[in-house]
Amino acid sequence: MKIVHLDSVSKLYSGEKILDDVSLEIDEGERITILGPSGCGKTTILRLIAGFIAPDAGFISIAGSVVAQAGEIIKLPEQRHLGMVFQDLALWPHLSVAGNIEFGLKAKGLARTERQRQIRKVLDLVGMLGFADRRPAELSGGQQQRVALARALALEPKVLLMDEPLSSLDLDLNIRLRQEILGLQRKLGFTLLYVTHDRDEAFAIASRVVLMSKGTVEYDGAVEDAIRQFKG
Amino acid sequence: MARRACLGLTVILLFMIGTLPILSMLMKSVVVDGHLSLASYGGLLVSSHQWILMGHSMILSSLVTALTTAIGVPLGILLGKTDLPFRRFFRVLFVVPLLIPPYIIAVSWLDLLGSEGLLAQLLGTAVIRATAPMLFGLPGCVIVLFSVFLPIPMLLTMVFLRTINPRLEEAGRLVSGWRGVMQEITIPLILPGVLLSAMLVFLLSFGEFSVPNFLRYDVFPVESFTQFSAFYNFKAATAAAVPLAAITMVLLLVEGVFLRDRTYQLRPSPGLDGQALIGLGARRRGLLLLVAIIGLVVVFVPVVVLVIQSAGLTAYVEALSRAGDSLLRSLIYAVIGASLLTVLGFFTGYLIQTKAFRFWRSVDSMTIFLFALPSTVIGIGLITLWNTPWTNFIYSTPWIIIFGYLAKYTALTSRISVTQFAQIPPSMEEAAQIAGARWFRRMVFIVAPLARRGLLAGWLVGYIFSLRDTGITMLVYPAGHETLPIRIFTLMANGSPELIAALCMVMIAATLLPPGVLWMVSDMRKKAVIG
Repeated sequence: MKIVHLDSVSKLYSGEKILDDVSLEIDEGERITILGPSGCGKTTILRLIAGFIAPDAGFISIAGSVVAQAGEIIKLPEQRHLGMVFQDLALWPHLSVAGNIEFGLKAKGLARTERQRQIRKVLDLVGMLGFADRRPAELSGGQQQRVALARALALEPKVLLMDEPLSSLDLDLNIRLRQEILGLQRKLGFTLLYVTHDRDEAFAIASRVVLMSKGTVEYDGAVEDAIRQFKG
Repeated sequence: MARRACLGLTVILLFMIGTLPILSMLMKSVVVDGHLSLASYGGLLVSSHQWILMGHSMILSSLVTALTTAIGVPLGILLGKTDLPFRRFFRVLFVVPLLIPPYIIAVSWLDLLGSEGLLAQLLGTAVIRATAPMLFGLPGCVIVLFSVFLPIPMLLTMVFLRTINPRLEEAGRLVSGWRGVMQEITIPLILPGVLLSAMLVFLLSFGEFSVPNFLRYDVFPVESFTQFSAFYNFKAATAAAVPLAAITMVLLLVEGVFLRDRTYQLRPSPGLDGQALIGLGARRRGLLLLVAIIGLVVVFVPVVVLVIQSAGLTAYVEALSRAGDSLLRSLIYAVIGASLLTVLGFFTGYLIQTKAFRFWRSVDSMTIFLFALPSTVIGIGLITLWNTPWTNFIYSTPWIIIFGYLAKYTALTSRISVTQFAQIPPSMEEAAQIAGARWFRRMVFIVAPLARRGLLAGWLVGYIFSLRDTGITMLVYPAGHETLPIRIFTLMANGSPELIAALCMVMIAATLLPPGVLWMVSDMRKKAVIG
């Protein structure tokens, strides 16, 4: 079943086309990496799917219903039931780890005991159970990464968007966290849309690779084919 | 070497002009007949009059702070964060009262609600009986100071909103509507800015002298000024000034401990596509009407009343004939003051930003303390230090006024410079250093051009604050060197309302002249680029 669908989507910034007639169909449970150099439009795709910006042409649907069309956001970000890990993680500095996770659960209207249970559950998932009361600034880079992941997973989204989440980490930690993200995806079964400019990272995570250049899709296929074509 | 010498000279200058006068004033107040004595302060704690003054000062400052924060912060959010129509126009409109001396707003309200005011002429004296109690005393002071200081929380809220990383709000918007994001994320993040603005408003209201003096409400700055200028009782004036300095010091210590590091560098967030605006939807019109009503009462009515009151060429001819020389002096002193403030602020800001000396934080605190200190205290301090036969070459010339400007307003230009320097990568200066440029050359050809926007903004702020200064100038101006705000203030006792209104309009025009010229030049350059 198609969970996300972009149909002939274009996006302009200051008169310049950042995305040009991009179409993309994503099945439930897929792990897609969008690969490309800086400025190719890969982050714009995530922001369009998240609902922070509207397309200038084409339409976007999630789980079968149209959420945005040319110049119009039909469903607001909070109505799309997505999770997202930002490039700079965007952890709220004034809230504790638990506070960061609890914000979305509160907005959803969950009772206090249910919220506490869910916080413990996701912190356990990412191996951060003992850190609930810490502030983001008191954590290492890898720990912050795990908290951002826990926050994104707390509402059990069907689709998780990740915007170059590991780009600021050293290689060892980067490789370790890739494995953890893969493990979580397999365990929880969410659809993963992962943006990166790093080919090794893209190939390690994806079941399908979308290669972008200058706002258009240059390649879209299975990761095994992509490895043969681009690594060979 | 040149760096240390130049920055060292900056510190010495700040100390000589700002700190030394205050220390000198305190020293003189505790020396009686060549011996140390606290006799001047003896009556401070036991006199009921002093406690009444303290109560008045605290009540006035607290009410003004509460009111400006309660309205200024939501206004800042509306103008900086939502799709409210005409928000750019409103941003400019609401800043106008901050640009003009506070007592001009008081004059305007008197022209409207006073016994010979416009309302009395239109509706008869019965209406005045109802409005007059609102005009004088505490209510009048609160209304006027609220209008004058409303832009502070509004502007700081807008500035702090711009410093928030847009991703922090987007992360919230994935799971919550704007209301939840504002309550749980945005407002807590700008809270240090809100508290800073509240503290600033409190201190400025606490030290304000001209409005309570004009609207007859006894507070410490009025007492201090009266003791000094009317009775020439230096010790009583100092004793009345000390509580002002002490409370300023306590509040700044609180700010230093809790807020300084959280509000220190105001720089726009490096967000990729800027801040998202909140759509007001169906409430857009209602909120527009509300903001328009606030603008009408706070800005439009006072200015229009002055325009109506001064209507006709006669008032302006008389105004220029009686105060033309003061206007010219005001412009010259303000230009000199702004230029020196820009230079001093540039080096002070550089010193703070680069932490050039171990005591950089003390330099920063010293400038902020002087800015927060009531003008009357600085004025008395300057007189104490410079009114001697050996330093008469300063005291009897306009330089004493310029010294007052530098002492009081360097914090503004230095903070603007710090913000600007924070946006210049250190590698810019380092590259020039590697290329062989000495420090002064790097400052002149690399750092200053890169910081030109901040320098220009600093100059404008320095000009506006120097031009509108009343408290310091009133105390220190040498005979024959009175500025326009002082001339207006003295003419208020016996001048006709038409003359005073015309002088106020001239003052407003003089204040808006450089920003207006700058706006026109920048507009012409933009059009030339597009063309």
